[in-house]
Amino acid sequence: MSDALKKRKSKVVRSETGTPECKRGRGEVDQSVQELRVYNEEVELDGRDPEEDYKEYKLTCKALANLMNDIQELKANGAKDGCAEVEQKRMQSCIHFMSLKKLNRLAHMRLKRGRDQTHEAKQRVDVLHLQLQNLLYEVMHMQKEISKCLEFKSKHEEIDLVSVDEFYKEAPPEISRKSNTQDDPHQLTLARLDWELEQRKRLAEKYKESLSSKEKIQKSIEVKKEHLSSLQPGLNAIMQASLPVQQYLSMPFEQTQKQTEIARHLPPSLYVLLVQANAYGQACDKSLSVSISGDVDEAKALAKPPDDSQDDDSADSDAEEEQEKTKRRRPTTGGQLDDKRREMLKRHPLSLCLDLKCKDGSVLHLFFYYLMNLNIMTVKAKVSTATDLTGAVSAGELLNPDTLLNCLYANDQGRETPNPANRYQFDKVGISVFGDYVAELGHPYQWVQRLGGLQFPTDTPEGMRAGSAISASHMENTMKLLRGRVQSRLALHKHFSSLEHSIVPVSSECQQLFPAKVLSRLSRWTTITHQEYTSMSFTQHVSEAGLARDTDLFFMAVLERGTARLQAAVVLNPRYPEISPLFALSLGWKGERTGRTDDNLRAIESEVNVFKTELQGPRPGHQLLTNQLARLCVCLDVYLETDGQDDSVEGPREFPREKMCLRTARGPNRLKPFKYNHPQGFFSHR
Amino acid sequence: MGPVEHLHMSVFSQSFSPCGRFLAAGNNYGEIAVFSLSSALSPDATDMSRKPILTFTAHEGPVFSLLSTDSHLLSAGNGEISAWTWAELIKRNTKAVWTRRPNYKSSLEIPEINAMTINPTENSLVIGGGDNNLHIMDLESGVFKSVLQGHTDYIHCLSVRERESEILSGGEDGAVRIWDCRTGQSVHCIEVYKYEDCARPQYGKWISCLTTDSDWMVLCGGGPYLSLWHLRSLSPTSIFPLSGCQRQATFYQDMILSVGEGQFVSHCLLGGEVKAQIPCTPHSLNTLALNLNSTENRVLTVGGSSHQIDVFANLSYRSFSLAF
Repeated sequence: MSDALKKRKSKVVRSETGTPECKRGRGEVDQSVQELRVYNEEVELDGRDPEEDYKEYKLTCKALANLMNDIQELKANGAKDGCAEVEQKRMQSCIHFMSLKKLNRLAHMRLKRGRDQTHEAKQRVDVLHLQLQNLLYEVMHMQKEISKCLEFKSKHEEIDLVSVDEFYKEAPPEISRKSNTQDDPHQLTLARLDWELEQRKRLAEKYKESLSSKEKIQKSIEVKKEHLSSLQPGLNAIMQASLPVQQYLSMPFEQTQKQTEIARHLPPSLYVLLVQANAYGQACDKSLSVSISGDVDEAKALAKPPDDSQDDDSADSDAEEEQEKTKRRRPTTGGQLDDKRREMLKRHPLSLCLDLKCKDGSVLHLFFYYLMNLNIMTVKAKVSTATDLTGAVSAGELLNPDTLLNCLYANDQGRETPNPANRYQFDKVGISVFGDYVAELGHPYQWVQRLGGLQFPTDTPEGMRAGSAISASHMENTMKLLRGRVQSRLALHKHFSSLEHSIVPVSSECQQLFPAKVLSRLSRWTTITHQEYTSMSFTQHVSEAGLARDTDLFFMAVLERGTARLQAAVVLNPRYPEISPLFALSLGWKGERTGRTDDNLRAIESEVNVFKTELQGPRPGHQLLTNQLARLCVCLDVYLETDGQDDSVEGPREFPREKMCLRTARGPNRLKPFKYNHPQGFFSHR
Repeated sequence: MGPVEHLHMSVFSQSFSPCGRFLAAGNNYGEIAVFSLSSALSPDATDMSRKPILTFTAHEGPVFSLLSTDSHLLSAGNGEISAWTWAELIKRNTKAVWTRRPNYKSSLEIPEINAMTINPTENSLVIGGGDNNLHIMDLESGVFKSVLQGHTDYIHCLSVRERESEILSGGEDGAVRIWDCRTGQSVHCIEVYKYEDCARPQYGKWISCLTTDSDWMVLCGGGPYLSLWHLRSLSPTSIFPLSGCQRQATFYQDMILSVGEGQFVSHCLLGGEVKAQIPCTPHSLNTLALNLNSTENRVLTVGGSSHQIDVFANLSYRSFSLAF
């Protein structure tokens, strides 16, 4: 038993130390045998099947257990230690232990080997994984690089190239290399860039050349300028020397030169007017003269950068007109606003004076002003006559400078500013109507703006033209109209003074329009106001038709014959004689009859208003008004003499029939014969 | 035509087209304007649809008379009559179909034609005017076949009694003559101004309007009062107290419509009362016309000393004005 225990002990020790190095230290013999066996065991391990080993292990354990039981039984039956049978059995079980030990070793070795194998495989997998990671990273990097390349902005994209067609057309074949570039856009772009470079080089060269030529020219200009400035003193000397000659020959070179010197300071619109008026005066109308008046120094100061120390606007030249004007005071509410208004309505210190002489010696003076802040032009007019024109009371309005130029063109009253922008300017400073200021500033007629080359958009669209073209296109017409206006006003003036003396002047050319014997007489000729005109009942139809406007002049003529009294209310358009006067009649005889109720009076009205062309007389028709009045007298005669033709009425007639009439009535409304037939001297119907 | 001419325009004559959709009006300048009634009366009418669709100068002198036959418009100017086809006028074609001139004895002045009427039984046109005579023109051949003489002053107005084949004429001399078409003789002569009830010596004696209903009565007006006469007895049955001189009158249903001096259309009852005076635009009226040719455009139009022609869709008030 103790041996078995020793053996077991040593075996245990051996198995515990386990490693061949330890065994080597114990005994050389064992060591060599064992080394061989270890070696053999490892080889053996490969040849053995683990399943078999397992079965063997089971069998061994079973056999061992059987032996143990046998020994137990034997011992229990009283066998002694060391009896052969027991000893044998013990031997057998030792052998079994040995094989168990071997199996155990094998199992350990198998386990170790398995562990090693697993470890090895794991290591391999790790390496592969690492490689994969590397590759993935590399791919990602490559992709990034590719996209970077794709996004790369080349410098050439910013260069404007000629189009492809043009390139092929213009570039020489050695650059364009059509065969190469046609299909390859890259080559094409390269070629185009080459061509661009070529061209730019050429242009740069050209630019250099131009610069140098420019410099050359500048130098030559410089030289010429010097030469010219050196001429100035010489010329001045000649001018000085020629002055006496000029005076002697009465050639106003100097004067015109001075005028052009001053004219440089005129505002553009006045300058346009000056130039155009001068040109027109020289070319077509010798009796037109233009001059500049006003303070030149002030204008010069104005031309310089804005200087707030400008003093009051009224230039000296205006002083004379200002005196004869009834000086209007503007309401002075709030000094600041007033100053602003004054500033806004300021006119340029220089003004133009245009004198238009008529054949009879009278002169129309027109003063043109330029309102700087409103950018409009205004005009004031004055007529000076050769002969003294006093006496006619009703003619007072005729030459009134305020209304003289009214409606030179239709509807041009010159009360409203023609520049639409001004309305907003006025709103700012509280000017409600420009009309309040025209007496002071002059009238901003449309034609004045056009003469000055100013064109403002109106409600009626028309083509915009610029500058002096406008002025030139209106100059002739306007000058003719102006002259016509003055002449017609003067003619009217003359007529009015005789009308006030109850004489209707009929010139010899117009004698044939009227019979020799006219008994109706003009008894009164007075001027009336627009209100008075519209308040009369027999003028209602004229007012309703819109033919009596407040710009017109209104007169009342009274014709009398016996007890009959014919009132004629006359509307005189400012554009007379182009627009003929309009008569409205009312007859006071046997009750009141008017042109509205009596067909015959209506016929007389149309006789003077409608059939007026035959009354115009020699052109331009200044005798129209007096001829109309003369015809009115004739028609009144006819009316009175043919009225009450009922012969059965007893007693002498108030108006004996003296006119020769073919028929006294005609047509459904029984009109009287108002038309005079000249050589035969009888009256007939229209 | 400027505003002054418009101011002095008078409308003297009117005539509706046979279809009743158009109105022709003549003025003192010899112009005829054609208005489209159907467009002026339509609910969406504008100012433009009250303007003429066509205006043309037909004659030199005033157009005192207009008359429509079945297809033609006859207009009378200074001593001449022109005919226009309605169909062509509507197409804005203003060429006269024919122009005829009665045989006037030479005179310094061409006599005007104040009145025209058609005698349907003979298909002839009766013309009266400044030469104091009635001229009868055959419409078939265009020949002036007879002249009826008798008036001592110019003729204002004409009327026809179809059933009796009689023509009535009223003139400046104050006489209303009744003519027998077949013999060409004046069978009766009424001198209205000689009856005290009718006479107004302050105005004169002329007869400027004459209307008959063809049966038994005749309406005469002018210098004397407007009066209704019984033809068989040749005596006045009722006298209408209208202040102004009447220029045209017509029977309408049981009423008489009359226009003349004064700014209104008078509605009178046969008994002699003035029922209503409807105000209108012109200050004195020359012409009145009733459109009986079409039911939808049944209107009364009046014209006078204005360029406007008043239209009455309802007799009791003025609807609107057509304007030259």
